[in-house]
Amino acid sequence: MNNDDRFQSLYRKYYKRMVRFYVLSFRVTEEDAEELTQDAFFRFLEAMDEYRGDAEWAYLETIARNVAYNRIRSQKTAKRGAETVDIHDRNAIPEPAAPAEPDYAQREEAALRSKRLRDAIAGLPNGSRECIQLWLNEFTYDEIAKFLKITVDAVKSRLRDAKKILRARLGDADGLPEDEE
Amino acid sequence: MTTKSELSAANRELIAENRLTIGDPPSAEEVLAYTSGGLAPDQEARIRERLMAYPELVRALTTPFPEGAEADHPDYLSDHEFARHWKALQKRRQRPDGVPRYWRAVGAIAAALAVVLGGLLWRAEVQLRQPQAVWQLQDLYPDGQRGIGGSPNTVTANGESYLLVPSLGSDLAVDQLRAEIVDAVNPSRPIWIGKAVPRTPNGSFVILVPRESLKPGTYRLVVYGITGERQEPLNSYTLRVPER
Repeated sequence: MNNDDRFQSLYRKYYKRMVRFYVLSFRVTEEDAEELTQDAFFRFLEAMDEYRGDAEWAYLETIARNVAYNRIRSQKTAKRGAETVDIHDRNAIPEPAAPAEPDYAQREEAALRSKRLRDAIAGLPNGSRECIQLWLNEFTYDEIAKFLKITVDAVKSRLRDAKKILRARLGDADGLPEDEE
Repeated sequence: MTTKSELSAANRELIAENRLTIGDPPSAEEVLAYTSGGLAPDQEARIRERLMAYPELVRALTTPFPEGAEADHPDYLSDHEFARHWKALQKRRQRPDGVPRYWRAVGAIAAALAVVLGGLLWRAEVQLRQPQAVWQLQDLYPDGQRGIGGSPNTVTANGESYLLVPSLGSDLAVDQLRAEIVDAVNPSRPIWIGKAVPRTPNGSFVILVPRESLKPGTYRLVVYGITGERQEPLNSYTLRVPER
């Protein structure tokens, strides 16, 4: 099998599933996902001649993740360097909307509550904090374990510890049930 | 009662605050070094902390990659679909943006390298036809398991080759092993990529590396475990090749 045949075989096997992978995992539109997939395959095709291993799907996976990673990263970096406006330019900054309900006292109370929760999370030991932050971002136990390079049992144990500490700090014995994934 | 959704909202605010102080996300090279496991613990912790401020990027690293579709599955591209995609790819390859000229230059360099490597291989092959006494194996210990400070494994050549024996443990639950050597400073630059070999019952894994392929410098050997169509990095070993 020559390079073109090998490429064709992988392309036909993976194209549609990679598009879906990008849509579901990176929350991009179908159109963007197709563009990312084509970009990944283009890079794979260009690099194929130099690849000396025999696990091409693994090489494709590395390229596919890198393409997505670089795309998201460049968007994040671009946002940080977004265009600035002159604060004295009255046309540049829209009038702030009138405060909606709830009233000032309720908003103050909500802001204080939010700060208390943020402080409680930030004050956790590193290992437990990382686990609970990822869990709050809807990562599965397996994904958390993979990212932190620990076992799933260690993830569960750290989450239990984190919830216990948070309950104690927030004075909330009934909050954050143990079995909530 | 504190709920998960209330805590999630607070967590989003906390992450947004952290981004202001943490700065840009790690580069693709840093992430590759993080995922292949070859960093010192403090470096690894720093990259992890920066990634934690960008959960979308963590998702890019952790979401399982799909397996390929079988030929009789609707996800498998038809001949017609593939022909259309292939045409678009070929068009993109021939775009007049300097790419063909660049690849011609790369091709010329590759051809020159092939001549040099061919010579080296021929010499190595001639030498390997003769029996040789192996006097020194290089036991390698994984990064993060060489004590405080973790100085790299210093390797010295045994004649014209390095005989590397990475410590892996005997309880490996993988079918095959594969090794790669990358530049320690720029891990996205592979120096050597090995083929997958079956795991032996006692877990032993020996790598013979021609002396000429490792100039004095620092490298990272990454050993992958393969089961079915999945591969995961098992260990990484920092290698230092001293000046001769």
